[in-house]
Amino acid sequence: MILLDLAVTFGVLSLIAFGGMPAVMPEMQRLVVEVKGWTTAPEFIQLFAIAQAAPGPNVLIVSLIGWKAAGLPGAVVALLAVCGPAAVLSWWIADLWERFKDSPWRIAIQKAIAPLVVGLILSGGYVLCTPSTPDWCSASIPSPT
Amino acid sequence: MDVTPPRNLSELFMGFLAIGARSFGGVMPWAHRTMVEERRWLTPADFAETIGLCQFLPGPNIGNASIVLGKRWFGVSGSIVAFLGLMALPFIWVMALGALYLEWASDPVVRAVVTGVGATGAGLFMGTALKLGRAIVRRPAALVLVASCFLAVGVGRYSMLIVLPVSAAIGVFFARRGWL
Repeated sequence: MILLDLAVTFGVLSLIAFGGMPAVMPEMQRLVVEVKGWTTAPEFIQLFAIAQAAPGPNVLIVSLIGWKAAGLPGAVVALLAVCGPAAVLSWWIADLWERFKDSPWRIAIQKAIAPLVVGLILSGGYVLCTPSTPDWCSASIPSPT
Repeated sequence: MDVTPPRNLSELFMGFLAIGARSFGGVMPWAHRTMVEERRWLTPADFAETIGLCQFLPGPNIGNASIVLGKRWFGVSGSIVAFLGLMALPFIWVMALGALYLEWASDPVVRAVVTGVGATGAGLFMGTALKLGRAIVRRPAALVLVASCFLAVGVGRYSMLIVLPVSAAIGVFFARRGWL
């Protein structure tokens, strides 16, 4: 049941995507390419590039992956799955957030997450141009030979 | 500054449709332009605070913003309408572009262009990380967290499901000791 698989996979990504989509890119690539095999590594980069070139939120890469895996229903399911759980969480937290404005725990959590997001986004950039993926990194550097 | 929130659901829908429709090269600048400058739904400070919250929450930032703002103005139906308005046109466009690409994928020039766009995107990630990193770079504890996250997830390819809880716990510990 590939639609269910898409829903669960992207639903989990939704809840760990602190810092937005760039931060969860390494995990998405790992799941989609290495664990599920929905796309090859070069295909993943190409879908990423298409989502990047089209106007709109960069989260739409998941629709292209869903489409590749299961056609149009896959595209819709993947998008709803990656937005849904986070949307429900936002819905609940929006008011709480205000109420805990001065709580030391809120401040600590906010400070703790900032460096993690930086490390994860760096990983995203790195994963998108490493040896298992297309060779533009090596191609863009003039070779000595 | 006088703000006038959207009066009904169709105004809300059209506003978010306008954001999604034009958002070449990132949604946030267009969200600001549409909601703060053109339609005056929000003050700049209010916008910044809402986006700040959505950046902290997991998930696509602008998607979360549509939920939070929709809720504020019209409850559940507001959230749904804002989200659908935001995603409707970009969804169609990305699928159309995907279909077009599939048609032309065998052309080496097209492949080269797409690969170039992908490389640009990867570079943008690095730029974003550096920009965000500037604010925390003076704290050695923060650099340790950045580096370990990068090594574990980027180089080691460990699952974020393991790395995130562990590093978040360490981060909160650091923060409580005043190291971050």
